[in-house]
Amino acid sequence: MGTLHLPPEVEAVFREFRTCEFTTVNRQGQPLTWPTEPYYDAPEGRLIVTASIAFPVKAYNARRHPQVAMLFSDPTGAPLSDPPAVLVQGEATVTELVDDPAWSYTMFKESVLRQPRARSFVSNPLARRLFTFQFQRLAICVQPQRILVWPRGDRGQTPTELEVRYVE
Amino acid sequence: MWNKRLIACARTYPSAVLTVVEDSGYPRSVRCVVEFDDARELILFPVRPLDVVGRQGSACLLFHQHNADLSGQRELLIKGELREEAGKLFLRPGDFLTGSGRQDTDRMPYAGSPLDIFRYMMLGRRKARAYLAKRGKPWTPRPWGKMLRYLDEP
Repeated sequence: MGTLHLPPEVEAVFREFRTCEFTTVNRQGQPLTWPTEPYYDAPEGRLIVTASIAFPVKAYNARRHPQVAMLFSDPTGAPLSDPPAVLVQGEATVTELVDDPAWSYTMFKESVLRQPRARSFVSNPLARRLFTFQFQRLAICVQPQRILVWPRGDRGQTPTELEVRYVE
Repeated sequence: MWNKRLIACARTYPSAVLTVVEDSGYPRSVRCVVEFDDARELILFPVRPLDVVGRQGSACLLFHQHNADLSGQRELLIKGELREEAGKLFLRPGDFLTGSGRQDTDRMPYAGSPLDIFRYMMLGRRKARAYLAKRGKPWTPRPWGKMLRYLDEP
C-alpha cells in the first residue's frame, strides 16, 4: 500500500496517543467499543491493535465484520499540545501474531516504554510464564478508508474529512 | 437493566464515547457529554452529538480512563438502543460490561488488588487453553531473548 499521506498533526496523533477507542460490530449488528493500545505501522500505512488469545472477541468480530473504527479522542499521556481528535474507519484483517514481523518488535518496545512498570514484568520469566496468554496475540491490521478530523478536539464542530492517499 | 453501582462509576467521567453503525457498515464514534436520568433509567445527551443526528438503533457508550503511564485503568461499556423522542436523543441501556467482567466496579483487574490479579491470571490461562485446544496446536514460543535485547537498543 505504501505510506499514508497525512497532515503532521494527524500523524502525531497516530504515533503518540496511548489509547484509541476501537469498535467492532458483533453478529447481532451491535457496536462494541473498548479502549485499546494502537500502533501506527507507518511504512505500510495502517494501524494495528492486538488482542490476547484469551480475550479474542474483538478479533473474531473484525474477522466476521471487517468494517471497524478507531477514535483518537483521549490524549492522556501523549506529549502533544492541543491535538485534534481523529476518527478512522477502516477495513480490518486478522492474523495470529506468530511469525515475529519486524513491526511487532517496534510495537512491543513502544508499549513497554510507555508503561514503566511493564519492563520488570516482561523481564521476569515467572511472570511471563504465569501470564503467557498476554503474549499470545491476534493482530488486527486496519487499512484506513476514511479519516475525519476535529481540530483541537472540538467536538462541537463538523469534522473535516481527509482524502486517504498513499505514497509509494 | 439499570445498574446503580456502575452508573455511579459512569458519573465520575467527564465525557464518554458514543458509537453507532452507519448504513455503510462502518462504526462511527464521537466523544460527548452525558447525563443520567435515574427515574426513567435513561442516558441523555444535553448537547446533541452532531455525528449521530438522525441515527437510532443499536449503540454503545464507552467510559474509560487511564493515567499518563497507562496505570489506573478503568473501563465501562453500556450497550443499548439509541432513540429520539420529542426532539431529545437518549440511550436506553441494555447490558453493562466491564473489562474485568465485574458488575460492581469499572476498575481493570491489573489495577486492583493481588486477588483481582490472581483471578485475572486464572481466567486468562483457562481461556487461552480453550483457544489453543480449538486451534489444535501449541503457540510458537516467543523469542524472549531477542525481544528483551531489542528493548535496550537505541
